Amino acid sequence: MLSYLGRSTLQKLVTLFFVSVISFLIIHLAPGEPSQIDPLNPKFTPEIVERMRKEFHLDKPLYSQYLLFYRDLFTGRIVSWKDNQPVLGKIWERFLNSLPLFIVGTLLTWTFSFPVGIRSAIGRDGVYDKSTTFLAYLLISIPGFFFAYIMIILVVTHLHVPVIGMETFGVTSASPLVHFMDRTWHLVLPSILGATGGVAVLSRYVRSQMLEIIGQDYVRTARAKGLSVETVYYKHALRNALLPFVTMFGLILPGLIGGSVIIESIFSWPGMGRMAYEAILARDYPIILTVNFLTAVLVLLGTLVSDLLYMVVDPRIKL
Amino acid sequence: MATHPQFPPGTELNEAYMPPSRSPWAETWHLLRQNRMAYTGLVIFLIFFAAALAGLAVTSGSRPWLDPARVRLQEKLRPPLAKPATETLSAEEIPALNIYLLGTDELGRDVFARMLQGAWVSLTVGFVAVGIAVVIGILLGGIAGYYGQLEILLGHMTFWALVAGAIATAFSGMLKIAAALSLAAATGWTCWRLRQASPDKPLPPWLRWAALPTLQVDTLIMRAVDIMLCFPSFFLILTVVALLPPSIYNIMVIIGLTSWMGTTRFVRAEFLSLREQDFVAAARALGISDMRIIFRHIMPNAVAPVLVSATLGIASAMLTEAGLSFLGFGVPPPHATWGNILSDGKAFIFDAPWLTFAPGLVILVVVLAFNLFGEGMRDILNPKLRERN
Repeated sequence: MLSYLGRSTLQKLVTLFFVSVISFLIIHLAPGEPSQIDPLNPKFTPEIVERMRKEFHLDKPLYSQYLLFYRDLFTGRIVSWKDNQPVLGKIWERFLNSLPLFIVGTLLTWTFSFPVGIRSAIGRDGVYDKSTTFLAYLLISIPGFFFAYIMIILVVTHLHVPVIGMETFGVTSASPLVHFMDRTWHLVLPSILGATGGVAVLSRYVRSQMLEIIGQDYVRTARAKGLSVETVYYKHALRNALLPFVTMFGLILPGLIGGSVIIESIFSWPGMGRMAYEAILARDYPIILTVNFLTAVLVLLGTLVSDLLYMVVDPRIKL
Repeated sequence: MATHPQFPPGTELNEAYMPPSRSPWAETWHLLRQNRMAYTGLVIFLIFFAAALAGLAVTSGSRPWLDPARVRLQEKLRPPLAKPATETLSAEEIPALNIYLLGTDELGRDVFARMLQGAWVSLTVGFVAVGIAVVIGILLGGIAGYYGQLEILLGHMTFWALVAGAIATAFSGMLKIAAALSLAAATGWTCWRLRQASPDKPLPPWLRWAALPTLQVDTLIMRAVDIMLCFPSFFLILTVVALLPPSIYNIMVIIGLTSWMGTTRFVRAEFLSLREQDFVAAARALGISDMRIIFRHIMPNAVAPVLVSATLGIASAMLTEAGLSFLGFGVPPPHATWGNILSDGKAFIFDAPWLTFAPGLVILVVVLAFNLFGEGMRDILNPKLRERN
């Protein structure tokens, strides 16, 4: 167990190193530099550009830029090139904005997928199964931005509630109840949209897991003993079908920092995705690289957590 | 009951002992016909394919029949099926069909013509991106699965490190160092080759370090897959597309280069199990070359599920392209794509909903068709679900 932990941590650190090198190279070898982003601005005289290049270490060779960047990142001194704010502080602020979306979206995904998946597995090839299957494909195939506009039209014309942004401007002066309802309404659409894809994929996965378990001999034995259908499905089958999903708790970890670029820009939600998008447009390399690095850390941590969880819940697995 | 022409009529035949009466292709086709959703998906895909080809024919060239870029400011935001006001338009401004099938946009451009033009973009992006991903995936997965146990020697590593160093220094302008590095690489390679030509003689001591094993091919490729999986894919695509000059080819290549990992893992797993099978051992015993075993014996058994997942990959590549166009990246403006028609139309969502719904519904239907067809084929190719007949 401990040796596994040590080995896989080492392996993941090596992977992380290569990820950091590759993302750095991709960003820095692409044509164009941040100092050239606004060539028509009269304030950008050659001297200023030269000073900026010096300030951002852009005049140094690539390897020392790399070392300087990751030294700054690990000592927490790294600042955004756009507004000179500390990057980690900016990310933390945006992370807190994205967090409610992530939590509500994940809760929706997990609460809807399981009942739907289990029911369609039990009534295989029935009307319910066929229609949820089709619905799942529909939700996987619909472009997020198109679905967002359909929902906006529906909600705005029928429910008359505000949807764009995180809260209505000036609502902080209203009563706490109004403020709370306003925040909630703003949260509804983006989190539903964030959850649709997840519900569709996860419910299909639950269904196939459940089908596989239902086909096993011990389930038939349980039925043959004369146990009631509920006991067989929910006590015998479901418990084993749930095993792979325990590992998924680790795999949703990267979603913490992901944040959907498209959904957040449609709803003007000041979250992680939008920040990353704006950083890309402004060629704010420190933010792009830090977001990339943190995502890679979370992905690797997620796989480690899911391996460990699997070992805890399934004694057959020996690592 | 199937008929068997090689037996005289009236012969008692036990179907259980007969070979299947249909060839595998006919069997697949038969199952596909029975799976209504997959069949519908195939039909929609064929229609889309024809529309994209026809769209390319009628909207490109210097004087296209349906001009997607023709601006008619007096005809802006006309609803679908509106007739053009012929008295205010000059002769060449009147649309060829004499009707705006899907209305016009805020510049009076014919949305139907723009949709046709965008169809070709979606089609090529989907196919080229997935084509790149599948080729990389099959190559790397095949190498990892078939040659995975081979060790990469320290000499190989040194050679490639020298080559990479030479390329890097050549790009940074240090030509002398680059020349020295490539010379060293070439000398090392020649020495190694000369030694290999006489395998019975032991390596001289000064070359022995080069034969030290470092790591397995399989480890190398699978770690590369792990590294690629660490990147947030849409964010990575967005970054690269934003940094590179806008072009449709960049998008295809980048989507392809960021989505080969699944295929690689899959092909590797298939190869690992197939190479241990008896028919491969038999082929090897016959002295058949590795290349022939890989491409004639193993590949046909591994390729069908890969193509199925490629179908699903096309669907997601088309969605990614639409998302990028929606954010304003990708194909430069006068050219229409479904994503940028929708993106331009979002400002008029309440006044001109057709600008949102036409591209949105078409993307939905086409992607859905690909998904249904792919999933249907996956079921059909699953031998557990086949009935013998």
